[in-house]
Amino acid sequence: MRAFRGELHVLNEAQPAAGQAELRVEDLFLSFGGLMALNEVSLEVKTGEFLSIIGPNGAGKTSLLNCITGFYRPQKGKIFFNGEEITGLPPHEITKRGISRTFQNIELFPHLSVIENILLGRHLYWRYGFFPACVFSPSVKKEEAKHRRIVEEIIDFLEMQPIRKKLVGSLPYGMRKRVELARALALEPKLLILDEPFAGMVFEEKADMVRFVKEINKRFGLTVILVEHDMGVVMSISERIIVLNFGEKVAEGPPEFIKNHPEVIKAYLGEEA
Amino acid sequence: MRIDPKRLEEFKAYTIPQIFAKQAEVLRGKPAIRKKYLGIWETITWEKYLKFVKHVAYGLSRVGVKRGDHVAILVDNEPEWLFAELGSQALGAITLNLFTSLMAKELSVLLNRFGARVVFAQDQGQVDKLISIRKEIEGVEKVVYVDPTGMSYYSDPWLISFRDLLDLGREAEEKDPGFFERELSQGRKEDVNLMVMTSGTSGLPKFVMFAHQNIVDMALKWIESSPIEIGDNWISITPSAWIMEQIWGIGVSILSGMVMNFPEMPETLAEDCREIGPSFILTLPRFWEELASRIKVKMQDAGALKKWFYDLGLKIGETCFKRELEELSLPFHLRFLKKLFALLVYNPLLDRVGCSRIKQAITAGHPISPEVIRFLRSIGLNLKQGYGLTEAGGVFQVHPDGEIKLETVGKPLPRTEVKISEDNEILVSTPSLFVGYYQDEETRRKVLENGWLRTGDVGYLDEEGHLVVIGRKEEIMRLRGGESFSPDFIEARLKVSPYIKEAVVFGDGKDYVTGFICLDFVNVRSWAEARMIPYTTYSDLSQQPIVQDLILGEVRRINEQIPLPIRVKKIILLHKMLDPDDEELTRTGKVKRKFVSEKYKDLVEDMYEGKTESQVKDTVVYRDGHISTIFRKVKILDVE
Repeated sequence: MRAFRGELHVLNEAQPAAGQAELRVEDLFLSFGGLMALNEVSLEVKTGEFLSIIGPNGAGKTSLLNCITGFYRPQKGKIFFNGEEITGLPPHEITKRGISRTFQNIELFPHLSVIENILLGRHLYWRYGFFPACVFSPSVKKEEAKHRRIVEEIIDFLEMQPIRKKLVGSLPYGMRKRVELARALALEPKLLILDEPFAGMVFEEKADMVRFVKEINKRFGLTVILVEHDMGVVMSISERIIVLNFGEKVAEGPPEFIKNHPEVIKAYLGEEA
Repeated sequence: MRIDPKRLEEFKAYTIPQIFAKQAEVLRGKPAIRKKYLGIWETITWEKYLKFVKHVAYGLSRVGVKRGDHVAILVDNEPEWLFAELGSQALGAITLNLFTSLMAKELSVLLNRFGARVVFAQDQGQVDKLISIRKEIEGVEKVVYVDPTGMSYYSDPWLISFRDLLDLGREAEEKDPGFFERELSQGRKEDVNLMVMTSGTSGLPKFVMFAHQNIVDMALKWIESSPIEIGDNWISITPSAWIMEQIWGIGVSILSGMVMNFPEMPETLAEDCREIGPSFILTLPRFWEELASRIKVKMQDAGALKKWFYDLGLKIGETCFKRELEELSLPFHLRFLKKLFALLVYNPLLDRVGCSRIKQAITAGHPISPEVIRFLRSIGLNLKQGYGLTEAGGVFQVHPDGEIKLETVGKPLPRTEVKISEDNEILVSTPSLFVGYYQDEETRRKVLENGWLRTGDVGYLDEEGHLVVIGRKEEIMRLRGGESFSPDFIEARLKVSPYIKEAVVFGDGKDYVTGFICLDFVNVRSWAEARMIPYTTYSDLSQQPIVQDLILGEVRRINEQIPLPIRVKKIILLHKMLDPDDEELTRTGKVKRKFVSEKYKDLVEDMYEGKTESQVKDTVVYRDGHISTIFRKVKILDVE
């Protein structure tokens, strides 16, 4: 019943002690040949915070995320998560430590259904062996049901009931973004990293997505890092904003401060001739 | 198994909540409600159902609701609607269900007129509407919201969640366990327990008051005339603010032990319907029209073999139905073929759309084209036409089994009398007639005379006692040549086309009939996509010559079923859909004829002035909320 809606086990169980997500990035440096992507970037994220990273095209936002999630190895600098150094660890190791992400260019399995895609996010928590699975033993059934329930809770939370059995490849773009978010949530993350989750969406889809992201952070206390282009969205939901330009951090602070920061205006609008 | 008729007879002396408590004691562990949640159908037994209702009642009493208070319910098709309504009525409060699609300013007027003390609201969206009009609805002391999603940011003591209300109720029950039974026993069957809004096609909606005994009587009529058994399935799809959802969802389901099923979301209806396999559906024509066009469109895309079987099956079905209409018996070979094709075509097809277990399907609310009935009956669906109005307790006329006639709305239910007045108005008399309009004694006196209710519709009884409804008395139009006609007659036929969603015709005092047409966007869109026709929006699509040709073809075909003098001569494909938010439709989807012809007066006049193009003013709301006016050109199309 709707009146009993909204108990997300993946998120409720994760807090408060288990949800600790202290990220510290120190003097990160990354270059591709002669092209410098990140230069001496440092940042810190506290548990429960909502941090946005903005900047013009090619500013190094996605590179920074890729370093944190292990897709790129920075040449210099260190990354700590909850006190442990994770610099250079492979992505699956970082995921195990509680960092999950969505991708700018949707990385889903188009020939699997929505449910199957989200269930894939649960692979870390699957606890049965090969042989019991072959005979579909009672313990396996129980395990399957448990994970399916968690997935269904996420589906309910993100209002995806009408598409749960559809193939991801047949879905419109905005819905695929939502499936990506669902899969990231299924990982039971401590830190959720969203890479342009609102890009290419129509207004209504964007409004829904903002609602979900806000709810994830405010109600369930999940720590979120958001990379986004839409300034309206960023300004309305972030607590703190970091501005990158040409691989360097040019400003950091609350939305009002960023809005009027001369460096930021310069980065976005260019200099007067 | 059916409920014992003796027991049903006893129910006549009780109120709805009293009957409910009695039924819950007998039916106990049997399913009463099913709701799909987290992908699984959850069952609520009668025992649990009673518990929920009790806790809502206790909770409401803690919030301050007393006998005679007014409680408004602004909830979608959810089990919480039933709990809220029965819980309030058990305390002796009067309930009113409102459409969740209402806008804030409409809500403010209605809630004030009703004098609501407590409002049940579906979710954050509904709560936000109420908060925006809070200053205007001072009488509302508490708002109970059902869905807690997004509500954690609200700390206003004006609001309480449904869950907290249940918890309050549980506490109160522990303190005073006998309170519920005491309150329950104080109810009398003559007490008003329910108000239902009229659709308000002309002017403001009125609140129609019903007493327990009216609802019970109406429910009993349905149970007597339909093969309802304990555990049969009803699927709740029409808004609870509609009288029929009240009569069946509360009345019939409680008295007959039928199970109420609630779909997961409106968007999942088709799938949920298939999983449930409802036994009865009584809903608005739009549902059946959409069902018919969905089947037709799907079959157009089917493979050659399937199509061949389907075409043949349809032909056989139509032949059988034609003989049925003429009341001829079926020869052996037709009977055999009908059985065979039921197996091969009809049953699988009906199963696909979730209608394979339907015992009785009824369309009511406004006129439907005979074509839809002919089509759906030909593929084996027992679809009948009903007729009624809110003041009479909903539908009181329906085709009896085996007496289907396309042009009629059948015969009255038991204990219902229908007669035609001298000026051809349909009059009805039955014990389930309403008590009166809320705070409007004058109108009641106008429509109710010596126990006979004036329906406002014109019609006649045919030689077999079937009622034929011509249309609303005030809407009958007369061409300058003298022919009078009901616009509904033409519109219902136009709407049969899978490409036409809505039609409004004009012609009162003119030389010929003209009309507006709104496209069925979904079907026309896929039609256009299949032909590689590029378009941007609805209004762009509606003005494309090739789409206009498609619709003209449809209108020409349909014109052949319409008597010569009142055939549609000119049409305009409107640049937008008619919308209840623009006040063009009522919340049940009926066209507000006066409003539409006033709003688009220039368009109508241009059609009669022989122009080929007309201009229409349209407002556009931008993302930042600012509104501007633009002018669009629409073409005037000659049908002949």
